[in-house]
Amino acid sequence: MSGLTARHTGPGPAAGAEDGTAARVVDAAKVYGTGDAAVRALDGVTVGFPAGRFTAIMGPSGSGKSTLMHCAAGLDSLSSGSAWIGGTELGTLGDRQLTLLRRERIGFVFQAFNLVPTLTVAENVTLPLDLAGRRPDAEWIDALIDVVGLRDRLRHRPSELSGGQQQRVAVARALAGRPEVVFADEPTGNLDSRSGGEVLALLGRAVHDMGRTVVMVTHDPVAAAHADEVVFLADGRLVDMMTAPTAGRVLDRMKAFDTKAFDGRPAGGGGTSS
Amino acid sequence: MNSPTRAGGTPAGSRSASTGAGRASLRIGLAGLRAHKRRFAGTFVAVFLGVAFLAGTMVMGDTLRASFGKLFADANSGTDTVVRGADEVTASGPGPGPGQGTREPVPTGLVDAIRKVPGVAAVAPVIEGAGELVKADGKSLDTRGPTVAGNWIDEPGLNPYKLVEGHAPKAPGEIVVNRDAARRGGLEIGDRTLLRTPDPVHVTVVGVATFGNEDGEGQTTYAGMTRADAERYLMPKPGEATTIKVRAGPGISQQQLTERVAKVLPAHYEAITGTQASDETQESTSGAFLDIFTTLLTVFAGIALLVATFSIHNTFAIVVAQRTRENALLRALGATRRQVLGSTMAEAAAVAVLATAAGLLGGIGIAAGLQALFPAVGFPFPKGALQIHVLALAVPLAVGLLVCLGSAASPAVRAGRTAPVAALRESATDTSGGSRRRAAIGLCTAVAGVAMTVGGAAAGPNLPLTALGAVLTLAAFVVLGPVASSVAVRVLGAPVGRLRGVTGSLARRNALRSPKRTAATATALMIGVAVVSVFTVLGASMKATLNQTVDRSFAGDVAISAQVYGAGGAGLSPQLATTVAELPEVQDSVGLGVGVAEVDGAGRRLTVTDPAALSRLLDLGKVQGSLAHLGTTQIAVAKDEADKRGLAAGSRVPLTFADGTRVDFTVGAVYDQAGLAGNYLISRAAWEPHRVQDKDTLVAIDFRDGVSTAQGKAAVTEAVTAFGSPDVQTKSEYATSSAAGIDTFLTLIYALLALAVLIALLGIANTLTLAVHERTRELGLLRAVGQTRGQLRAMVRWESVVVAAFGTAGGLGLGTFLGWALVKATDGSGTGAFAVPPLPLAVVLLVGVAAGMLAGWRPARRAARLDILRAIATE
Ligand SMILES: Nc1ncnc2c1ncn2[C@@H]1O[C@H](COP(=O)(O)OP(=O)(O)OP(=O)(O)O)[C@@H](O)[C@H]1O
Ligand SMILES: [Mg+2]
Repeated sequence: MSGLTARHTGPGPAAGAEDGTAARVVDAAKVYGTGDAAVRALDGVTVGFPAGRFTAIMGPSGSGKSTLMHCAAGLDSLSSGSAWIGGTELGTLGDRQLTLLRRERIGFVFQAFNLVPTLTVAENVTLPLDLAGRRPDAEWIDALIDVVGLRDRLRHRPSELSGGQQQRVAVARALAGRPEVVFADEPTGNLDSRSGGEVLALLGRAVHDMGRTVVMVTHDPVAAAHADEVVFLADGRLVDMMTAPTAGRVLDRMKAFDTKAFDGRPAGGGGTSS
Repeated sequence: MNSPTRAGGTPAGSRSASTGAGRASLRIGLAGLRAHKRRFAGTFVAVFLGVAFLAGTMVMGDTLRASFGKLFADANSGTDTVVRGADEVTASGPGPGPGQGTREPVPTGLVDAIRKVPGVAAVAPVIEGAGELVKADGKSLDTRGPTVAGNWIDEPGLNPYKLVEGHAPKAPGEIVVNRDAARRGGLEIGDRTLLRTPDPVHVTVVGVATFGNEDGEGQTTYAGMTRADAERYLMPKPGEATTIKVRAGPGISQQQLTERVAKVLPAHYEAITGTQASDETQESTSGAFLDIFTTLLTVFAGIALLVATFSIHNTFAIVVAQRTRENALLRALGATRRQVLGSTMAEAAAVAVLATAAGLLGGIGIAAGLQALFPAVGFPFPKGALQIHVLALAVPLAVGLLVCLGSAASPAVRAGRTAPVAALRESATDTSGGSRRRAAIGLCTAVAGVAMTVGGAAAGPNLPLTALGAVLTLAAFVVLGPVASSVAVRVLGAPVGRLRGVTGSLARRNALRSPKRTAATATALMIGVAVVSVFTVLGASMKATLNQTVDRSFAGDVAISAQVYGAGGAGLSPQLATTVAELPEVQDSVGLGVGVAEVDGAGRRLTVTDPAALSRLLDLGKVQGSLAHLGTTQIAVAKDEADKRGLAAGSRVPLTFADGTRVDFTVGAVYDQAGLAGNYLISRAAWEPHRVQDKDTLVAIDFRDGVSTAQGKAAVTEAVTAFGSPDVQTKSEYATSSAAGIDTFLTLIYALLALAVLIALLGIANTLTLAVHERTRELGLLRAVGQTRGQLRAMVRWESVVVAAFGTAGGLGLGTFLGWALVKATDGSGTGAFAVPPLPLAVVLLVGVAAGMLAGWRPARRAARLDILRAIATE
């Protein structure tokens, strides 16, 4: 387990862009629809996710968290601005290149329905590698399986697992290819606090023991407290950031969204972390 | 939807509430249909094609029947009474020669007696026989219908043919031909050619005629000559005619005239009305053919609709399963079972009505198109208005609605049974399929079906038992489908998984997901492929039987055979065998002619030949008695037939001929192998008094020692140019040409089955489209974690291939088995061969798999176009 850190190869924390971010968006805007029905889901967001760190994205419902994550991960394209994974600008890539980039450099954990129902746990974990025709690193996968604690469930189908177990498999899958960045959209949203805690601990270990970069969208201040830093979105804009968060501080910050209408554009454009 | 009513509301109130509820189901059903139009595209197309095929067949059948009816009625409108021989001998069973209704000729002397009957306006003897025209290039005109020669009748109104060019034949050797024959034969007025009756007659074309206003009587070629010529070449002796036609004077009805004429006829002759005669001609010329043709088409429309039923049922089953949550929500909100059931049925009914209506229009379009197409491809079917009878609309309409609603019934009932709590549960796919009960029922049916099929085929043979067994076996295949599909897909899909890595194994597992669905999808294809295989095996077995017969029976070097298929051909001249026999290269040459007679009251074909020479050129097996001296008092009988009728060498057999004479023969010899020789042999001398127009169907030739086949063949070919240059064939060429008709027939069957297979493939495509829709989220996930569009497409396509392979393999197995059973069950004598042609069946398998790939094309493309984010966000 501790060997994970030592043995990891491939793009590590140093493989990001010169500014030390594994992923970033610059002046990102995303508009859905046209004319009167247009919704600015992202409105000039600039943010970098530092390599080797665990970043949480928070904000009220509809504030653009998922949109930001999708655009940063190459699942969706920006209306204007640019998105980068390491030194690669996503806007310049075609569908096939984006697919290959996702498969090789990014891992995903969604809120639910993370697993292919026809595949076993083991097959789900190695799915991105199998799709790429890459030979899985047996020791690494083996170690991962132990970390997520699913050794006795390898031959099972997703439908035979609990929600928490399914999410742990998803985390293992996200890490199986040793991606530069793991994006997780409310990975604990469907879980009770204990299962959620296990999943968050796993993500934390991926960052601190294995040197991965994790970006996680969450609603839960307790979950956000596992992160190294938190960025806050409101109405499609970056409104605040917090380093070394605690659940209490995050909760207080969130409450502020509910009580007072937000005004102005603080920290606009300067949302890089130190 | 209904306002709160007090308990115990009036009956009227509750009725209006229930109609309101009915309207609600209808509204929900139609909304569902509107929202998911694409899902029903496959159902629509399946019903449309099936109904269009059926309606097209019926409309076309009616139209052709009406056109032919009009054609014959018009052509014979001047004939009020027909006089003919009263006795008719019809030989049953397949085989060449005058099968249907051979009658004794009428003496032309009767004409004078008839002319004296009061009310008779005109009388003419009609001589009709076979006459094959030889084209300008020296080859026989290849015909698709009868080849008729006769006397040109000058009496106005009694001749169905109308001279349009040139003049009527006056001198010996002058003929009039119908326009279609002239065109196809490249013959013009003044051209000299041969007319084979079947002895070659040198003729000159002096006129061109039409049949009514058509270029010909259907496919028939006609040559009209002088009465003297016709008597000489077409009748056994002068002073005889085939029939006598009579026209009535003004004010006399057909009935009256016929009765009066009948009074002056001696025994053995009869008079019938012109209407009856034209009806009978129509029946024998086109009616029987049309009946077979439309029946055949209807059977294949039925197969297509059966296949469609499976596809449609599957579509509804899937749609209902996918809508479990929605239906459960409706139930939770207070919809009754009947309302949910009703909404599904309303959807089905809407699709049924639309598709059936479109199908009817399509069918009429097909019929109109074919009518226009026939002349273009050289079938001069008579023109006539499109006949759209009520029945031709009502039957396809009823069948279409029944198929559609019937297929939707059980899924609709299932929809009604949806538990309200299903709305709250995660909807799981139905992975059942291999239930014990199903397996048990299926196995029992299979055992019973196979046992009956094999029993009926092997012991007996008993066709009804085999047929019942075949139906049970088919049912067993359908019932066992879901049980078998998991195993079959695992086995058939294994190479896919190995070849295509994770894409292949995902495809295979997707096919395994819902065994019932996979089985239902594959079953449709299975039925289509099974029918294709049955015919492939049947055709190959028939060919093998023919080959075997020629192989065992033919002991000569080369053969000359008359056209075996199509009603046409005048046969070979009996002089051909004797001409060839005189060649220095030829050792022996014998002709085989055909005669009919009633043996113990049953019509039988006789082979008219020189039995002694025949026994040297055909292998007759062991012969009891002697073939050398049959003379005019003895016949020879094949062993099987002799056993059946209790005959042995020395038995007495009375034969009744078409001329009404009864002659007692003795069985002079019994031979073991019927083969090419047929069941009865009679000498030419014995047949001579009863003949009408002699022809041979086969001439077998043996060369002298030291003459090579090539040498001999060249000499014979040279010698037969005077006979219209029939093909001289080696033994294997002869076998192949005998089987040529089978290939033509198979091609037609394949073309007809293509529709059923197409519907089955549409079913696969439709199921896949629905599955892709159902798995949207999963596909999005796969794309998110790095599956390329290409990989996704391949995954869907391979799933399609695996399902198609399952259906095709099942169909091949079932079809081969049933083909074997059919061959055995119809082979009464036990001499038929059974052959499984590996190459055609391999082609069927390949085509099935390739078609599966094609069926997966569109769903795969649609799946690959999925927007990842939408897919992930899909509820
Ligand atoms: N496909 C779409 N079309 C139109 N508008 C959209 C679309 N997707 C998102 N939006 C809008 O963009 C805004 C941001 O949505 P997004 O899903 O990013 O919010 P979120 O912060 O993830 O919210 P939640 O916490 O509820 O998941 C919302 O106002 C939403 O309505
Ligand atoms: Mg969201």
